[in-house]
This record gives sequence, C-alpha cells and structure tokens, in this order.
Amino acid sequence: MNSTGFFTFVGRELRRFLSLYNQTIIPGLLTTVLYIVVFGKSLGSRIGDIKGIDYMSYIIPGLAMMNVITNAYSNSAASLFQAKLMRFLDDILITPLSGLEISMGYILGGAVRGLLNGALVLLVGLLLTDMSLAHPFLGLVFLLVVGWAFGAAGLLVGIFAKTWDNIQLLVNFFLMPLVFLGGVFYSIDMLPPVWRSISLFNPLYYMINGLRYSVLDVADSSPWWSLFISVSAAVLFTLIGAFLFARGYRIKD
Amino acid sequence: MTPAVEIRNLRKIYSGGVEALKGIDLTVPVGEFFGLLGPNGAGKTTTIGITTGLVRITDGSVKVMGNDVVRQFRQARRHIGLAAQELSFDWFFAIEDLMMLQAGYYGVSRKVARQNTDRLLDTFGLSGKKRAKPRELSGGMKRRFQIARSLVHDPEILILDEPTAGVDVELRHRLWEYLTRLNNEGKTVILTTHYIEEAEKLCERVAIIDHGKIIAMGSPSELVSGMDKDGMSLTVEGWNQDAAEALVGYRFDFTDGHLRVYTTRPELRLTEIINRITSAGVAVLDVRICHSTLEDMFIELTGHGIDE
Repeated sequence: MNSTGFFTFVGRELRRFLSLYNQTIIPGLLTTVLYIVVFGKSLGSRIGDIKGIDYMSYIIPGLAMMNVITNAYSNSAASLFQAKLMRFLDDILITPLSGLEISMGYILGGAVRGLLNGALVLLVGLLLTDMSLAHPFLGLVFLLVVGWAFGAAGLLVGIFAKTWDNIQLLVNFFLMPLVFLGGVFYSIDMLPPVWRSISLFNPLYYMINGLRYSVLDVADSSPWWSLFISVSAAVLFTLIGAFLFARGYRIKD
Repeated sequence: MTPAVEIRNLRKIYSGGVEALKGIDLTVPVGEFFGLLGPNGAGKTTTIGITTGLVRITDGSVKVMGNDVVRQFRQARRHIGLAAQELSFDWFFAIEDLMMLQAGYYGVSRKVARQNTDRLLDTFGLSGKKRAKPRELSGGMKRRFQIARSLVHDPEILILDEPTAGVDVELRHRLWEYLTRLNNEGKTVILTTHYIEEAEKLCERVAIIDHGKIIAMGSPSELVSGMDKDGMSLTVEGWNQDAAEALVGYRFDFTDGHLRVYTTRPELRLTEIINRITSAGVAVLDVRICHSTLEDMFIELTGHGIDE
C-alpha cells in the first residue's frame, strides 16, 4: 500500500471541503436552525410529545441524518465529477495510488464531511433543546456508517455522471423524498397501517431510526436491524463503487 | 542494462472501435532524449497514456525500468514524471500546495517534498507566485508549473506530451534549454511533438508515428541520410545543352529557370558546379544549399505533411 500517498489524498479531500466551509458546513447548520425554529417552535407546540419526547428534540436526529446523507453524497460525487470534468483527475491517476486507494479516499472524504455535519447538527440540538445523548458511541457509529454509505453512493454517481444535473437530480428526486418519507419529522407509528408498511421498505428510514434510538432512546423498530441495513448499504455501495473505479470504468479510456 | 521504456506489440482499440495503435515496438535506453513525432491523431498521446496508466491496454506490454505498467504499476509510475498536453490543474489549491500534494501522492516525505518544491519553483521562476492558484497564472507560467510539478518526485524519466504546443518562441527556446540540461544531468526524456524542428534539435533518436504505426526510427541524421535530397538549388539564366553536359556525373533537374543539383556535402561542391555551368554560358542569379529534413522524410514515408 502507498500509505503516504493515500493519506495525502485523504488530506486533500478534507482540505477541499473545509476550505469551502461556507458551502459545505454552514448551510446545513443554518437549515437545521431554521427547521428547529419553524417546525419545532411553531408546529411543535401543536403536535405535542411523540413517544414521550418533545417534538423539537424528536426531529433533531432525523435532521442530523439528513445532513449526513446529503453532505456525504455531495462531497464525493462533486469532488470526483469536478476532477473528471476539469481533467485534473489524471494528475492522481498517473501516481502510484491504486484505484482502490483513490476510491477509498473519496469515500472517506465524504464520510468525514457527513459525520462532521451530523455531529454539528446534534450539537445545535443539544444547545437549543432539552435533548441529551442516550447512546453516544452507537450514535457515532451510525453517523460514520451512514456517512460512509453515502460517500460511496456519491462515488458511484460521480463515476457515472456526465453533467452536474445528474448529481443534483438524484438528490432532488431520490434522496430528499426518501429522507422526508423516512420519518425525519414524524414517527411512522403515526401513519396509517398501509403507509407504515410502505415506509419499512425505505432504507433511509432505518438510518434515521437508528440515530434516533442512539440519541433519544426511542425507536419505531429495532436499532440493531437499522444498524444491519446501514452497514449493508455501506458495504454494497463501497464494493460496487470501488470495483468500478479500480476497473477504470468511465475514468480511463 | 534495463531500458527506461520498453514497448512490445502495443495495440489499442478504443471502445468506439477506433484502432489507435496497431502494434508498436519501441525501446528507449536510460539517459536518451527520445522523440515521438507524428501528426495529431497518430497515436502519440495514446502511447504516452498507456505508459503512464491513463489509458487501458488492449494488447501487448509496456515496461518502465523493467516494471510492467499494469502488473507492477506502483514501481513503474514512481519512475515517471508526466507533463501532459492539457494544462488542467486542481483549482482549489495554490501551486505550492499542488506541488506538495503531487509529491505526497508519489510517497515522498514532507521534508523532501518541501525541498523539491522550493527548488523547482525557483528553477522555473515561479517562487514569487507560489501562493497563486493555477488560474491566476499566465499560459507560459502554467506550462512551466506543469513541468516543475512533473519533476517534484525526482523521476528518472520525464515524459512531455507536446510541451511547446501554443507557447511563444522565447519560452519554447527556454524550455528546450532546460530539457537539454535535464537530459545532460542523466534524466531520460521522452517528448511527443508535431514540430519537426523540435525533434531535430533536441532528440538523439526519433520514432515517426502515423496512423498508429511506427514507420521509421533512428537518429534524425540517420533518418535523413538515406533521403538523397541533399544538394543545391540555383536560379539561373541562359540554360543550354552545354551546361547540361557540363554537369555530367551529377543528378540534376531543371524547371523554369530553377536548377536543382543533388549531391552529398553540397557546400564542398558548390564552387565546382557554379564554375561548370558558368563556363557553358549560364548566369547564376541565386544559390541555396539544401539538406534533407525530417519533414522530407515524413512526406516521403506518409505521402502527407505533418500538419495535414
């Protein structure tokens, strides 16, 4: 393994998003504060408690997971696509880094950005609500595993993407609907039986459910099943993304 | 001794079905200044792409310092520095950071990377711009930066794909000087170009590539020596049969007041030939010595000019 090369590349990925903090960190935090104020303060008092948790605290883990998913995905997809589009990916491909190392670097960059954004949202929640962390280690695992899964999904989309629209299309028409229907703002136990059953087919529901259990100690279904689904998604996306990248699919002529 | 680059029966068919390389064989010894000469689309960039890991091989093999570029890609790539044809850079970072990052990707320690970065930025006259982003550099500076960056991990082999395309004459000559110096210091330099003058001036050996095949290879002087185009061109007045007879022993042709005489070492024969034809009553208005060039060679081999 080219460990110096690998860590240099991971460092490059981290520096890229940290230097663009006004695009990669601040917007997520600002949106979260708005959600807390608009949904939590104005609607929360009318909705009341859910499973014994005040509404404002109840939505925080879902908002955190929404940030993890969108940020991890956007980071690796945008970083790879930009390098392809501007043709500076060649500067990395000619080095003694293997395709596997480069793909892991992109995924790790996405996972760290997702983790950081998720953790900051939880921090905002801790500061603005009465929330406390019930299972902090498990929460960290969920943030990291889901960040990794969507960092890998972003890599996959970055490989296939031909335009910026391809990347944004998936966020608008796939990720965001699944996140919102995954119980960010409600418990699926509040839904009619048919819709509750349909929600159980949404993998993002399990990720939100797992983090909600880790933070608030309440869950609509088993947190361990949630962890299994999250790890499975991470493994699946990583295997496909790394395999395609290592083969040079849409990367090398 | 292990050659710097050894290419055997290299073929490349792109996914669209275009056969870019049709079985190339090439050996570049360590320390040589080697040129790949050919028109656009001949297969030069594909050959470089395969050697550096940017293009996948269809068939054949490429070894760099004895390391197969596919199976032993890490060892092979450590020996190569590439200055690509396109000036495309990671636009997030200052050029100093880009040098450090590139060295890091090659596994160079931070301390050595810092020394190499400072030295190369200084050598290429970019020390004052080290905190500038690539987009803030002029075209010439970008080209210098690109070559500096290709050397940051101190490779034995420097590959330059059309390094002087689009640069002004002054920079072109400065780059030639610098490349010659690098070669004199022991680096193997492989250059692709479609500037014949560049190949003639810099390269110890050149391979002429056209339509994915190497059609000639050797030193520029060897390649043109078999051309039999050396001689002189004279503009004359009063051409007559006696003058034609006076040139017995020489191969020549005459058209519209222009006499072309073919001979080796024309400088030594000039006076004799002028004496012979003036004795026959012919007036010589203008004289020009002609030597065969790689361009003549290229046209003879391919039937077209290098820019066609």
